[in-house]
Amino acid sequence: MPLALLYLLAFSAYVWHFATRHPLIGRAATATLLGAVLVHTFQLGMYTMELGLPPMAGSAGAISTFVWMLAVAYLSIEVTTEERAIGVFVTPLLAVLQALVSRGTMPTDIPAYFAGPFVALHVGALLFAYASFALACVIGITYMLLFRELKTRTPGVFFQRLPSLQVLDQMNMRAVTIGWVLLTIGLAGGALWLRDAGVQSANDPRVPMMTATDPKILLAALTWVIYGLQLAFRRWASLTPRRAAWLSTLGFIVVLLNFLPVAYFFARSHNFA
Amino acid sequence: MHLVLVGISHHTAPLALRERIGISRSMVPAVLDRLAGEGCDDAVLLSTCNRTEVYASTTDARRTGECVVQCLTEYRGVDRQSLDAALYVRTDADAARHLFRVAAGLDSLVVGEPEILGQVKDAYKTASDARGTGALINRLFHGAFAIGKRVRSETGLAEGAVSLSYAALTLARKIFGDLSTRHVVVFGAGEMARLCAIHFHGHVASTTIATRRTDRGDALAVEIGGGVTPWASRMDALLDADILVSATGATDVVVELAAMRRVLSARRGRPMFVIDLAVPRDVDPEVAKLEEAFLYNIDDLRGIVDENLAKRQDAVTRAEALVNDEVAAWLAWLRARAVVPTVVALRSRFERVRQAELDRLTPKLTGLGPEARARVDEITRLMVEKLLLTPTEQLKAIDDRETMASCSAALRRLFALDDDGPVSPTDAAAATPKPPRTPGEES
Repeated sequence: MPLALLYLLAFSAYVWHFATRHPLIGRAATATLLGAVLVHTFQLGMYTMELGLPPMAGSAGAISTFVWMLAVAYLSIEVTTEERAIGVFVTPLLAVLQALVSRGTMPTDIPAYFAGPFVALHVGALLFAYASFALACVIGITYMLLFRELKTRTPGVFFQRLPSLQVLDQMNMRAVTIGWVLLTIGLAGGALWLRDAGVQSANDPRVPMMTATDPKILLAALTWVIYGLQLAFRRWASLTPRRAAWLSTLGFIVVLLNFLPVAYFFARSHNFA
Repeated sequence: MHLVLVGISHHTAPLALRERIGISRSMVPAVLDRLAGEGCDDAVLLSTCNRTEVYASTTDARRTGECVVQCLTEYRGVDRQSLDAALYVRTDADAARHLFRVAAGLDSLVVGEPEILGQVKDAYKTASDARGTGALINRLFHGAFAIGKRVRSETGLAEGAVSLSYAALTLARKIFGDLSTRHVVVFGAGEMARLCAIHFHGHVASTTIATRRTDRGDALAVEIGGGVTPWASRMDALLDADILVSATGATDVVVELAAMRRVLSARRGRPMFVIDLAVPRDVDPEVAKLEEAFLYNIDDLRGIVDENLAKRQDAVTRAEALVNDEVAAWLAWLRARAVVPTVVALRSRFERVRQAELDRLTPKLTGLGPEARARVDEITRLMVEKLLLTPTEQLKAIDDRETMASCSAALRRLFALDDDGPVSPTDAAAATPKPPRTPGEES
């Protein structure tokens, strides 16, 4: 819970900065978030030292790692672009997700199926990919808010505070590109693990379920297709930045569906908790 | 003599009505002639994108106001009812204050924008060239030019995003971010197009001018260091452009929806910022519905102004104080004008007395050389000047019309100013110095 409070404190600072646009408050907001990330890094580092691997197994561990990756991804964008306005949209997500983690239990040991190198690659890459997609979603939403103000010729709060549409579009496509590459790596890692699992975990009842018809795998593939098409159409066809922003939001909705309800209630291949 | 202002502006009239009532520069002399025909022969017509106003000096403010309204409605074919709803009529100090605020940029859509001062100067020059202007209008407009410059130099009101061009630039930055790789196309080469082109050119990669008048287009391109494209191929120029500024004097739509749709389709989803500064509008308003087009006309730029208004509140307060000073100075001048005939008559009277005395004493001064006689002439002239200086200043400083009139009447009576004849013997006797007393003479 203290970590969630730190993210909440960072959110408050970003709201304050969003309202006042005072540079000092902006730097204080960044420092607060950086402090929260450092504490989070220390916490995850302690788990990693204890377990021998990052605590990505189980919902609480996976979500906490996801939150950390999202915070790091956001901070890297903030530092490179010097744009802090997006922070007010990202930090509440961090605080809420981390608060959810505090109600669950972190893993205390490494499950047998997590021992192989491809599983860590699969899970780690996918978590980072989803963090990138979450960031792209937030940026996409802010793009649409600003787009709406500019299009309706009523410049308001977002006009005054958000970076330009061009910058938001670049951020969005950068996040999607990184996310899609990591998603590809993650899916490839999963496929490689599955090839070995056929021999090493032949008796695991989940392994035969890992086919293209499994809802979780199907939605992961759909996510890969959505973001892949977004990148392709943006690169080679006339996909407008606004539609790209919409696709970032749509893609992350699919990610959320896959991450939560599908994984819990429908998928039979990934019940590891 | 009174000053009358009749007009509409962006505060009172929507763009559609301003488009209908607006009078292009070339039409202004004809309108002034028409006003003169109606008995209003000392007037200035200021017609910009945001306002159409007539300033006139008259002895009958009510009749002149009605005459101007009638002229505008008939000349532009606008029905009286819709115009009346947007119309404002001001007289004397209120009218002067309005013009000073306009010239200072305080009444502009974008407060402090610099274009309006040039437009006020143009309007005055056009009226002067066309029919000539009287003393009241001359003093009024010169006061407006002075306050326009003073406000900008002393209050900082013109700093920052205070012009339409700058507001457009701010919007462009919000869409494209860094503009250094962007390309601008400007339709038109009039003053508004020129200002916008100059403003943008310093921030973008290239600027291309397209205008029907190739001579003006070439001149503008040379001035800013941009390129020129033929008017007929203006839409082709948009294929590589990111920003379109349209500010032509055309009465019809210059950028049609179908043509713009074709252009945007060929640009493969790249957004375009379209700034329509023309009145009447150059760009079909339906273009705004195209996803990639961000269309802003003059009224739309109002949104940008709000933030600047808050920042400039201090400057506005200081500028309003300067305007008040200028209005007071103008009113003092106007009042002083009423006593000018009395002052002129008084000075003339004193001068005649002086000349009469010098003439009378000429035989006694024959012994003096030319230099000494010139000295005597100068001394007597200076004495008269000094004697008249205080009463003249006191008279002009009276701020009450009735007191001024009664003082003026008293002076006229005391010095017989209405008598244009030669200096009376009484005056001459009174002016004659008494000979020095001789010893033993009774006092």
